[in-house]
Amino acid sequence: MLRLRLLITLLVFLWALPQFSGLAAEQLPVGIHWQTNQKAPVFASPQAKKGGTYRSYMMSFPLTFRHVGPDSNGSFASVIRLQNLSLVGIHPNTEEVLPELATHWAYGDDHRTMYFKLDPEARWSDGKPVTADDYLYTLEFMRSKNIVAPWYNNYYTEEIERVIKYDTYTIAVVSKKAVPELHLKVPISPTPKHFYGKIPKDFVRRFNWKIAPNTGAYYIDKVKKGKYVTLKRKKAWWAKDKKYFKGRYNVDTIRYTVIRDLNTIFEYFKKNKLDSFPLTSPTFWHQKAKGMEVYEKGYVKKVWFYNNTQQPSIGFWLNQANDLFKDRNLRYAFAHALNMDKLLNEILRGDYSRLHNHYTGYGAYTNSKIKAREFSVKKVEALMMKSGWSRGTDGIWQKGQRRFSVKVNYSAELHTKRLVVLKEEAKKAGIEMILKRLDGSSSWKLNLEKKHEAAWTGFSTGLRPAYWEHYHSANALKTQTNNFTNTADPELDKMISQYRLSLKIQQRIDLSQKIQQKLFEIGAFVPAYKVGYFRVAYWRWWQMPDVPATKHSGDLFEELGTGLFWIDAKIKKETLAAMKSGKTFKPETIIEKTFKVD
Amino acid sequence: MQINPLTLKRIRRFKSIKRGYYSFLLFAFLLLIAVFAELLINNRALLVYDGEELYFPIYGDIIPGSQFGLGYDYETNYRDLQTIYKKKGENRFVIMPLVPYNAYENDLKKGTYPPFAPSFADRHYLGTDEIGRDMIARLVYGFRICIVFSLLLLVINFSIGISLGCLMGYVGGKFDLLFQRIIEIWSSIPFLYVIMIISSIIIPSLMVLVLISVFFGWMGMTWYMRTMTYREKARDYVMAARALGASNRRIIFRHILPNAVSLIVTFVPFSVAGGIGALTALDYLGFGLPAPTPSWGELLQQGTNNLQAIWIISSIVVALVAVMVSITFIGEAVREGFDPRMHSTYE
Repeated sequence: MLRLRLLITLLVFLWALPQFSGLAAEQLPVGIHWQTNQKAPVFASPQAKKGGTYRSYMMSFPLTFRHVGPDSNGSFASVIRLQNLSLVGIHPNTEEVLPELATHWAYGDDHRTMYFKLDPEARWSDGKPVTADDYLYTLEFMRSKNIVAPWYNNYYTEEIERVIKYDTYTIAVVSKKAVPELHLKVPISPTPKHFYGKIPKDFVRRFNWKIAPNTGAYYIDKVKKGKYVTLKRKKAWWAKDKKYFKGRYNVDTIRYTVIRDLNTIFEYFKKNKLDSFPLTSPTFWHQKAKGMEVYEKGYVKKVWFYNNTQQPSIGFWLNQANDLFKDRNLRYAFAHALNMDKLLNEILRGDYSRLHNHYTGYGAYTNSKIKAREFSVKKVEALMMKSGWSRGTDGIWQKGQRRFSVKVNYSAELHTKRLVVLKEEAKKAGIEMILKRLDGSSSWKLNLEKKHEAAWTGFSTGLRPAYWEHYHSANALKTQTNNFTNTADPELDKMISQYRLSLKIQQRIDLSQKIQQKLFEIGAFVPAYKVGYFRVAYWRWWQMPDVPATKHSGDLFEELGTGLFWIDAKIKKETLAAMKSGKTFKPETIIEKTFKVD
Repeated sequence: MQINPLTLKRIRRFKSIKRGYYSFLLFAFLLLIAVFAELLINNRALLVYDGEELYFPIYGDIIPGSQFGLGYDYETNYRDLQTIYKKKGENRFVIMPLVPYNAYENDLKKGTYPPFAPSFADRHYLGTDEIGRDMIARLVYGFRICIVFSLLLLVINFSIGISLGCLMGYVGGKFDLLFQRIIEIWSSIPFLYVIMIISSIIIPSLMVLVLISVFFGWMGMTWYMRTMTYREKARDYVMAARALGASNRRIIFRHILPNAVSLIVTFVPFSVAGGIGALTALDYLGFGLPAPTPSWGELLQQGTNNLQAIWIISSIVVALVAVMVSITFIGEAVREGFDPRMHSTYE
């Protein structure tokens, strides 16, 4: 009897245990609207054939194969990290959400939770299935002090609140803050729990050269430290027939050889020891690669590909706390005094184009109606007269004791010859520019302390325009903030706050357009130029889709990114024979303007 | 004016060394060009006659284009004005300097990109640099800055070096010992690193650069002056002067220094060459005068980056070699001239 009672108690206890301890699977909320996307245009080519080797280079051998922790942020990091797929991807042309490790997803009403149905076919390199536990483990892993990665520690604590497991193939990821576009934030990558296990104290050392299983198309095959790394394609990769992965990652082997100097790399390329070479730099395109024999004989092709991606904001940041630039007319005059066209077309060979707006290349968020102020001495004169200035005996504008002389603070030696041209032209418009070149960090410090008059510099980009850091009054007249123009405008503040708080995408887009218009009216940032393309040379047997790269591509050969290219064995054979016999082909330069903007 | 027969003899000996003498003439000629550079190389006209009045735009304020009916308020483009006047063929005229460009303006063309090769038609006799500035103008104005720099450096370095060295030698004892050690320590500060650090936090002007260079360059002269003074101090004539009751000041300035002049003078040319070399090196490395100041180092830098534009690197190298070699020859001849021992050479 006692035994029976004990048994019942035990049973009741076992039944109740999960309810209280939280170990039980949480219930998926009802009314979830699952979505997927099988209708987006495919960007890979159906003609792509598998096989061959792609020979690439790295400038130095990586210090580790870990994807996190000390020294893991070198140039090889992308090779490791791109092999870890996320829950969902973003279409490189349309920017739609695409299935990746999850087949379906859904948004919670709180703008913080996103639900995912995992693809049950997903496998790690070692054949083990990818399950919900691997996502739970990501959180544990990324929060661990043992990985010695403060940024990740912080991000996965302060930004990602938790991961909820509903069953083996259903999870939710919860963001700490409500955000308008959850799919840009919460689709994390799984971490192979069976591989790392309990994270040891000496993780950094123990896993330094360990090759972790991944979910991508390649795995690290052979390594010779200091010399090369070879990747091999997984023959039975779980995603190879999925709609958005078909026709991608075509080469069987990718080999990265260590070559430490760009000029040497170029020589290797010309000797057919490497498959492609970047020519974006004007020095290579216009001088070193001009008339190279392999191109003239048609063995190597050149591509000039215009992309359309977020552009860094290069230009003059006028400090409105400065006596001169308090006056809006003077800010406008400064912009009209910059002969950017002359610089771009007569010095820089038309390689770069004019940047019209601080926030260029953000799709619908960019107000494309805004055109940068053009060089016009007449307009400068009109503006200066309006503010009561007159030309002095040296031709520079004067008003009382003040002279329109601006110190321009910059740091790149390469930019000296660009600024010098602008300086000479500005003289015609009666504005004197004094060029101050400082070393990078001193120059940046000067700007952060807002001690500059005009700063020539640029900020890198994010996925969506960030206005608060650059233009909100909360950051004006304060040191160590990115509001380099010291903009403080109550109306603008209101719009920026609204933009930050809004969870409606359309409203954010509308606000973004208005904010940019307002910024144009304020005129404290004078945009300079952008590089809206990449250029590359490659051997003629490499094949690509009709549009050879995507809107956001930075290279034709993104072997682990888009991975669109493949080798045509027949053409390769033909070319190699031709090189032996001396037969030539017509040299070809492809200029691809599908994604070109203005 | 009476010239000391000894000095006359020295000059005669200097002149007799032909290599040095011709180098001196060449150098003097270059200096002359540098001093009057505005009259030879300028985008402003030497003389303009607009039918009513004569203008001399070279020195003085700018004359806006509207003055000549060109319809703009910035500085007149005298080259354009010249072509306009020539076309009209009236009695109005513009006389341009030999090279009608200054060292700053970018003379660009549509459809082709700088650097442009030497061309008599464009009056870029040595071509242009990589952003279309005239090479001769950059060379000459750069030379002027270089010379001003090294002369300033020379004067300050020598004043400090001579006075301190003289004092060390004359006073001797603990004072001498103390400064010897200070100088030794001072000399071990790596000059180039310090200047790199300094010019990455402040923008050096010419004067600042001179002062930084003096900061690390004053020691050289002290050693020579110290030994020289020690030697002269022990001579009988100094003893005699002292016995006659001459003050220390009188002994130093009237007796010791004049006897050290020959030493000082022989160091001058080499010091000038050193100054030119230092500024060129700093500019080459990008730690010199701020852009767009014309400078030889910057030209050298451009030249090595644009080897296909052979006129850049060749002009600057020829100029640099010519100046350095001639200064060295002058130095050699000066040393010979001031050497009290007469060497006979048979040729």
